[in-house]
Amino acid sequence: MMLRLCLGSLMARALTVAMTIVAIALSVALFLGVEKVRTGAKASFADTISGTDLIVGARSGSVQLLLYSVFRIGNATNNLTWASYQDIAARPEVDWIVPISLGDSHRQFRVMGTSTAFFERYKYRAGQSLAVEKGAIMDDLFDTVIGADVAATLSYAVGDPIVVAHGLASFVEHEDQPFRVSGILEKTGTPVDRTVIVSLEAIEAIHVDWQSGAKIPGQSTPADVIRQMELEPIAVTAALVGVKSRLQVFGLQRAINEYPQEPLLAILPGVALQELWQIVGIAETALIAVSAMVVVTALIGMMATIFSSLNERRREMAIFRAMGARPRVILSLLVLEAALMAALGAVIGLALLYAGLFVAQPLVDATFGLWLPIEPPSLREFWVLLGVVAAGAIVSLVPAFRAYRMSLADGMMVRI
Amino acid sequence: MTRLVPTALIILTASAATADETRQLDAHEHGVGQLNIAFDGDQIAMELHAPGADIVGFEYTAESAEDRGLVDAAVATLARPLDLFALPAAAGCSVVQASASLESEEANDEHGHEDHAEHEEEGDDHAEHDHEDEHHAEEDGHTEFHAEYLLNCANPAQATLIDFAYFDAFPNALELEVQVITDRGATAFEVERDAPVLDLRDMF
Repeated sequence: MMLRLCLGSLMARALTVAMTIVAIALSVALFLGVEKVRTGAKASFADTISGTDLIVGARSGSVQLLLYSVFRIGNATNNLTWASYQDIAARPEVDWIVPISLGDSHRQFRVMGTSTAFFERYKYRAGQSLAVEKGAIMDDLFDTVIGADVAATLSYAVGDPIVVAHGLASFVEHEDQPFRVSGILEKTGTPVDRTVIVSLEAIEAIHVDWQSGAKIPGQSTPADVIRQMELEPIAVTAALVGVKSRLQVFGLQRAINEYPQEPLLAILPGVALQELWQIVGIAETALIAVSAMVVVTALIGMMATIFSSLNERRREMAIFRAMGARPRVILSLLVLEAALMAALGAVIGLALLYAGLFVAQPLVDATFGLWLPIEPPSLREFWVLLGVVAAGAIVSLVPAFRAYRMSLADGMMVRI
Repeated sequence: MTRLVPTALIILTASAATADETRQLDAHEHGVGQLNIAFDGDQIAMELHAPGADIVGFEYTAESAEDRGLVDAAVATLARPLDLFALPAAAGCSVVQASASLESEEANDEHGHEDHAEHEEEGDDHAEHDHEDEHHAEEDGHTEFHAEYLLNCANPAQATLIDFAYFDAFPNALELEVQVITDRGATAFEVERDAPVLDLRDMF
């Protein structure tokens, strides 16, 4: 009876009610969306590296080392000299070590020099290995393996020649030494998708005719001559290390951090990630607070519309009272109306979120490399929605109490 | 170009004269120690680094009988890991190996001094440690206690709650930065005097 009355009353004012519901729906969609992006970003960061015990680089900050070595964000302050690299590789605790050399680019993508061990040792998403979708892992000096996004964006196929540019944003290209795409990796959802992988020797090879960052004019060494050359790097950017026994990780970390010949830093990827969350945490909280405020604003907007509707409905309320409705019926009628609006808003907001996710998922993935999973609403989201409905009901108590007090006296008086 | 060479040479030789030793010193924060815990199979390896100020309250070389007694007592306490970091009985852990020692950092007077100046600016890290009175500390640099433990556990996955009695044993210690490695990867925690419990349930 009450519900029918409510629905009827809402239908009678369909336009205002619809606008209120849209406002609530948008705010709920925003709130849940921010939450999705936040947890999605966290999960995709956490999934990027697994199975690596230590990352070694020049001594800087652990977050910085993690960002440039794994996520290709920012740059190294210093390199890790090859002598130190070999010292670490020779330590008895070390099970495997994979060098990483960054600094060159191909179009908008970074070029990474590494050893073939990278393909076996680099693990993502709880121990998954990289897999070659087409072609094979490089075996010639001028072979490259490219990530899925590189192949898709530049529409490369196996066998295509590519030219690597010196530095990250320069127009100087290493034209003498064109590379060949030997393999394309399967999509991983990690920065590897946006990386052109070459061998460590190849990074040295493309710099054979270069000195101090500039090309020596007129000099060009043929590829075959370069293949015969001893191409030992002077330094690498960082190294991924696997330790034989987990019990030795901390000992090795300390040994590297106290390495007397060169200031080095060894980090545990998980711990560095944790530090990163601590930094990002403040921004995250701010983001959640802002989107929560948007929900609050929408609910206050609803309160305002209920207030203004009270004026139009003075007569209606008075008639209810005259027909024998108690004041608390009036109160619950208004609260129920508000709760219904909030509930509709919450449900439509959820629907908007999923519609938005379906549309934005590939776009966000392509632009930011962030995979937002489309999953059924979590328990947490359910509580958020319930909270919105409850908050809507509570907020409506203010106008409802006013109606409760005024309903009879107010409506029966004829005002001119 | 050729005129640059002599200058470059001078710079090189000048730096070579002073660069025959590498100078570096670890960060040292009073009140804050480091604890590393690695779980592997049925073994747990732990490593503790704590500033001398946290453990015995001073960082000068112990010369008086009283001070030496304090250091010896501290080393003895540190050699009993299960009294400091209490693991649940269900884990069934026993100590296989435990060692503790006092390490002093080999810093010269000047270095120790500089380091202290920086510390003073950091503010309340030094709440428990008054430098005005303790001139020794400035002369001898910092000291650190270092302990290593190896435990054998019947059921290491039950070692999910670690109770840090460490803070009761050493009233000057305020915080431990904990790094943990398990099958599920590595994480960091901060365990403070106010809440001396480490919850590792998510790590198994």
